[in-house]
Amino acid sequence: MNDLEQLLRTHPFCRGLAEEHLATLVGCTTNLRFRSGEYLMREGQSEDRLYLLRQGRVGLELRQAGGESVCLETLAGGDVLGVSLLTPHAAHLDCRAQETVLALGIDNGCLIQKMNADPRLGYAISMRLLENTYQRLSRHRLQSLDVYR
Amino acid sequence: MNAAAPYLPTPMRIRHAVRELPGVFTFRFDVPGGFAFRPGQFNMLYVHGVGEVPISISGDPTIPGELVHTVRAVGTVTRAMEPLEAGGMLGIRGPYGSAWPIEEMRGRDVVFVAGGLGLAPLRPAILGVLAQREHYGAVTLLYGARSPTELLFHHDLTRWRGRFDLRVEAIVDRAGRDWRGPVGVVTKLVSDAAIDPEDAVLLCGPEAMMRFVVGELRRREIPDSSIWVSLERSMKCGVGLCGHCQIGSTFVCKDGPVYRFDRVAPLFFTREL
Repeated sequence: MNDLEQLLRTHPFCRGLAEEHLATLVGCTTNLRFRSGEYLMREGQSEDRLYLLRQGRVGLELRQAGGESVCLETLAGGDVLGVSLLTPHAAHLDCRAQETVLALGIDNGCLIQKMNADPRLGYAISMRLLENTYQRLSRHRLQSLDVYR
Repeated sequence: MNAAAPYLPTPMRIRHAVRELPGVFTFRFDVPGGFAFRPGQFNMLYVHGVGEVPISISGDPTIPGELVHTVRAVGTVTRAMEPLEAGGMLGIRGPYGSAWPIEEMRGRDVVFVAGGLGLAPLRPAILGVLAQREHYGAVTLLYGARSPTELLFHHDLTRWRGRFDLRVEAIVDRAGRDWRGPVGVVTKLVSDAAIDPEDAVLLCGPEAMMRFVVGELRRREIPDSSIWVSLERSMKCGVGLCGHCQIGSTFVCKDGPVYRFDRVAPLFFTREL
């Protein structure tokens, strides 16, 4: 087993994934490091990677008029960034490392090709992305209620 | 409480008034004879000639000579309280209601989940646990607020963060770049925290926030019997007679405000209540 496969195996997003699927993902995965202040994604750019965050905090920021940024949410180790993989869109937020960030970057083109070739892998990844999207939607709903006003 | 005259408030003088946040203030009252209460209980606070409101006790249960209330100015009575300073008088009757299960959860890991002003009713429980720290396992506070400038009890949070035997995580709904902590809702802290089904989870905040947190705890397979919530309802008499705070078959002022969640779960999700 190589190091990348081990890193994938220990990430919550890959929990319960079949051995052969883990091995398949390795071919699309790169181990990445971002310095504090570096962007993982910029608003308007295509989302070409699915990031499995291992360590460090990433701020999802929206630039306002005048250039001031507002942080809408932070993600950290164990979280997933770039969940719009299945419906490719340009990123609508800036994703900036707030400290040193370690992440596994899965190439979207490579992953989609393998998901199409193996529907069981496609189903497993899709379900995880759906769960992730639902969790984020749920958090966003609570946030939008502004309950502490 | 005066059992013979349950509606008779005792006049108490404010020793110290602190503006915690805009519209949120803390009054400290000297009680030379002591004021015994259990964490989670509340008093009825009376502004002479204006009216009476139920307010949780936010002080340290290990300091019996001091009574502390933290109040948000939201209605006629609390707005009348807001300008009061040291030397001002309020009428107080209580303490009323049920308490956090400080004794019952001995030996267990404890997770406090607070949202906004919900930290105030939890503060006595946190201080009570910290006063007998050796009787508990890991202790965690997960706290959500609207923004970094709206974090309540800033001094306490700083002090608690400095302890090695208490993990404190604070998250805010919105922040600028000067905030170095996490941004989002408190359910994110709950989903990321190490919580086991055997842990005791004490939860207090706006009811919508508590419903989301309970949903996340259930997703984590934390049983309802390991969760305690503090409910808020319109309380008038404080002694279970007037019925203003009744939900289903329970009177929040007398049977609550603190409930083990499995005992109120059906009421919690009933829309009409």
